[in-house]
Amino acid sequence: MGNIIDSLQQFWQFTGFANCTWQNLVMILIGIFFITIAILKEWEPLLLVPIGFGMIVGNIPMFPGLNIGIYEDGSVLNILYQGVRQGWYPPLIFLGIGAMTDFSALISQPRLVLIGAAAQMGIFGAYLLALLLGFAPNEAGAIGIIGGADGPTAIFLSSKLAPDLMGAIAVSAYSYMALVPVIQRPIMLALTSRKERLIRMEKPREVSQREKIIFPVVGFLITAFIVPSGLPLLGMLFFGNLLKESGVTRRLAETARGPLIDVVTTLIGLTVGASTQADKFLSGKSLMIFGLGLLSFVIATASGVLFVKFINLFRPEGRKINPLIGNAGVSAVPDSARVSEVVGREADPDNHLLMQAMAPNVAGVIGSAVAAGILLGFLG
Amino acid sequence: MHLIRKVSSAAAAILLSTGALAQNASDLIISEALVENVSSVVDGYGRRTAWLELFNTSQGTVNFGGCFISAGDSLYMIPRGDLRTKLGPRQSVVIYCGGKEGDGTFFTGFSLKKGSAVRLLSNDGKTVIDSLSIPSDLPADMSARKIALDAKAMDWQADPLPAEPSPGAMNIHAPMQSGAERMAATDPHGWILTVTSITVVFTALLILWFIFSISGRFAVKAGKKLGRQTSAAEDDREATAAVIALALDDYLGSSIHDTESYTITINPTDRSAWAAPGRNFRNKPSR
Repeated sequence: MGNIIDSLQQFWQFTGFANCTWQNLVMILIGIFFITIAILKEWEPLLLVPIGFGMIVGNIPMFPGLNIGIYEDGSVLNILYQGVRQGWYPPLIFLGIGAMTDFSALISQPRLVLIGAAAQMGIFGAYLLALLLGFAPNEAGAIGIIGGADGPTAIFLSSKLAPDLMGAIAVSAYSYMALVPVIQRPIMLALTSRKERLIRMEKPREVSQREKIIFPVVGFLITAFIVPSGLPLLGMLFFGNLLKESGVTRRLAETARGPLIDVVTTLIGLTVGASTQADKFLSGKSLMIFGLGLLSFVIATASGVLFVKFINLFRPEGRKINPLIGNAGVSAVPDSARVSEVVGREADPDNHLLMQAMAPNVAGVIGSAVAAGILLGFLG
Repeated sequence: MHLIRKVSSAAAAILLSTGALAQNASDLIISEALVENVSSVVDGYGRRTAWLELFNTSQGTVNFGGCFISAGDSLYMIPRGDLRTKLGPRQSVVIYCGGKEGDGTFFTGFSLKKGSAVRLLSNDGKTVIDSLSIPSDLPADMSARKIALDAKAMDWQADPLPAEPSPGAMNIHAPMQSGAERMAATDPHGWILTVTSITVVFTALLILWFIFSISGRFAVKAGKKLGRQTSAAEDDREATAAVIALALDDYLGSSIHDTESYTITINPTDRSAWAAPGRNFRNKPSR
């Protein structure tokens, strides 16, 4: 009898109940919250469901040394997590993004590409603020990239520059991407007058297939020659787009934008979520990262809108740009372009800005990958 | 067509072989050598012998098994098949030159001489990968070495002066700094990086703007020449598509997004094809 009681007591030590801390419970609740908003509100469900469940997986309290935790060498979760730590997953996601993105809006309105550059101010604004708060330059760079509103880029850069902060940075980036409509709308309304919101823009011209094929090759050559450190992201993005546009690799493009990106998104979401173990995640630094992430989104949106207003100073009447597409310079594709459309229709139900907003939107993807390359080059 | 195929195959083969060569033994250098060992490192047998250091300058792992080390007329082949001959990126290995042959993989069996050169040869035994001259006046416990002027670019030069030996460590003027350390020292507030980065991002996208503005003009002109001037109806096509997409989205709400719309429900029933007597393997027991 005594042996049985001893065994049960020993077993108890292995259970989650015996090893549970309040921090574990907080993280599990956050995970459940993520899953809830993903299902009820449908905010980025493809990411928040895996991340939320990953948070629960990663925060199940356990007896250390069982070789099952994400930070224990050789465990299944640890092996899957290497795709995040070593930066394998983000370029694969970029391959899928390239294969599903239509750059014709950008090709037909190349002048709008600069809005995508202006919105990257969010990255560097957050970088400056993070330095001011005492973060090391590499950490500040990794935090700043949240302002690019691009989850894979944020994971890629933080895995290289500040792996310890990656969980907080990834969760912050994806959370704010889900909240793009909530964050951007008030800023857009505050920075524009009603007259500006009513500006109608000329329709984009039709783009030939030849132009679409040339774009990924030329675009890659230019950006990669300027920022070779952005090669993994830029290379995969433009390669994926070439698969889509070449017209002769339909199967490869279908795989890249379908099963491949789905598999990688599932793995990246789950492992990033699981990496947010309470002892590593719940800290003052994480709170500061969340604050800085929000500020970077605000700065990025404001910069895009204000940049359009600045350009309009030099453009004749009738050829002005609606500043409501400025927010789309952040690379949350296509959510931020949809915000431009929705806010534009609130002012004028017949004014559709979606196609115009897609140009800075996809330029923002390129811009944030270039910015990540620069930060990696300087701080890596 | 046949010629094009041949040329492209040859080009692909050349590219592949260049890639394969990029991370082979040619990336190794003899970074340091010490001849008169009085108080420097001891080998695995507790002896103080001459030694040399190989350094891998590449970013990939290099296997130097099968390469040769020669000094004067002496030649030593580094055995193949020893896992320890795989040298990681920017790593070094010490090879002892003394003792006798058969002491192990990292023992040449011959010593080094002052006033001569030690060479690393490829596995053909002829091609010199790298060499290091040993001055005739090299003092005891001092080494002849190459030094990295730029650790990132792997720019190495022979150090004209005898140096304190540093086996197993990278020979470099100043300690290596990470990018973040460098920026913390030179740009503590981050303004230089910010201005530089924004300039680069704008430049990259400006070039894209410039190129696609020009190509767009050509495309429009070409379209006009071919009589493919778009009609007003065609102009409206994309806006119409956007409107339809939004309307559909509004109508369907969010139900089109990632929701399983099919559910298989299995209700128990007596009347099913599977319950037919003909599908049973045995007859129903008769009452």
